[in-house]
Amino acid sequence: MSRRLIIPSVLVFAVLTGLILFLSPHNMRRVQAGFLGIISPFLKTGSTMEKKYRDFREGLKTLEQLESENQRLMIANKELSATNQTLRGLETENNRLRSSLDYRERAVFKLMPARIVARDASTWYNKVVIDRGSTDGIKEDQPVLTDLGLVGKTTVVAEHSATVVLVSDETCRVAAKVEGTQEQGIIKGERTSSGSTPSIGLNFLSKQAKIAPGANIYTSGVGGVFPSGVLVGQVKEFKMRELDGHATVVPAVDLTTLEDVFVVVGENK
Amino acid sequence: MIFFFLLLIGMFVALVAQHFIGPLPVIGSRVLFLPIIMFYGALALPVPGMLALAFCGGLMWDALNVLSVEGNVEIAMGWSIVLYAALGALMGGFRPLFQRGRWEIHCLLSGVCTAFVVLAEYLMITFRREPVVFLFDKEIWWRIGGTGLVAVLLSPFFFFAFNYLAFLVGFDPQPERNARRSR
Repeated sequence: MSRRLIIPSVLVFAVLTGLILFLSPHNMRRVQAGFLGIISPFLKTGSTMEKKYRDFREGLKTLEQLESENQRLMIANKELSATNQTLRGLETENNRLRSSLDYRERAVFKLMPARIVARDASTWYNKVVIDRGSTDGIKEDQPVLTDLGLVGKTTVVAEHSATVVLVSDETCRVAAKVEGTQEQGIIKGERTSSGSTPSIGLNFLSKQAKIAPGANIYTSGVGGVFPSGVLVGQVKEFKMRELDGHATVVPAVDLTTLEDVFVVVGENK
Repeated sequence: MIFFFLLLIGMFVALVAQHFIGPLPVIGSRVLFLPIIMFYGALALPVPGMLALAFCGGLMWDALNVLSVEGNVEIAMGWSIVLYAALGALMGGFRPLFQRGRWEIHCLLSGVCTAFVVLAEYLMITFRREPVVFLFDKEIWWRIGGTGLVAVLLSPFFFFAFNYLAFLVGFDPQPERNARRSR
């Protein structure tokens, strides 16, 4: 019975696999988004359980600890609100001055908070899954950041979840500039950077560039995906190669322990 | 049939669980459950079942892991299906021995095949990424070999658990051993 089924099953297998192999990139993303939609409730449940377990292990806080933490957070909240108000005023003033100088207005972005529900399980990629999707206004190739700096960008977007490729992945390329210099280059993750020691490199710098360790690297805004002025990391070391200069950069955000992020979803109205 | 669906559910649960286990400290290799279940299925099921399992497992893996950035696809979806089927066929060659009740070599082979999956992924992305540089330093080898080593260590537990599940649902993956025992 089973032997008679071998040839038909091989044929059916070959046809179905062929259909999958020749999917267009658009349809492939649709399949991926569909499957992400199926698996994300399980990932979210797993993430919640993992968080509860971690909280349990850390132990319950005393009432005094909670009270002092609450006090501290309230003060921090007030400080941030005040700073935000000042910055908004400065932003409006800046845009007014830019428009009077005939410069293009700097876009004001709206940030969507998101929680990381799962980390990538594959060996060669650096990705995370977040709990926001197309219903929250997330689209493909939107920048993802934290208050400390750049995290990456969205790729596959399902209804209630999305995949974010981290800045430490080799496929995530970001146009960047070195603070205090005219030097610009492309930030790219390194193949061996997945896992516990993410490292990224700034390529295509000029060989004469004198970049000191500790110099801040910001996005330059070239390419249109990432807004300019977002901190990417700090230079660890600079070396000259045959054709260009290369800086090893330590990401500003600890990508291995990251829990909450913001997705830049569009202009703030 | 029930056992096939149990393996399928096992693969799905494994896929979810893998996300909550980070890379191993120092060596950076991953703990992959899905290939172990797939290769167990290749031993326990006949060829049509193995192919169906390879199709579902490969599709699930690719749907979650294939990366496309700015419209560029590195590894086309479906390659894992081909890879799992080919390695499943290789494992199937050792099926008669498994049916006789031996599974030591199969656990070892399961680890080797898991490492081969990681190696194949590495080669594929290396061919696609520019410049094409085959970097094979200690870290890369540990990621490939370490993943296989972890699979070798985990395989006996998975093999035992699924053999027990098979027993519970009335499926016999090792008929010759059980026939010998009943004699």
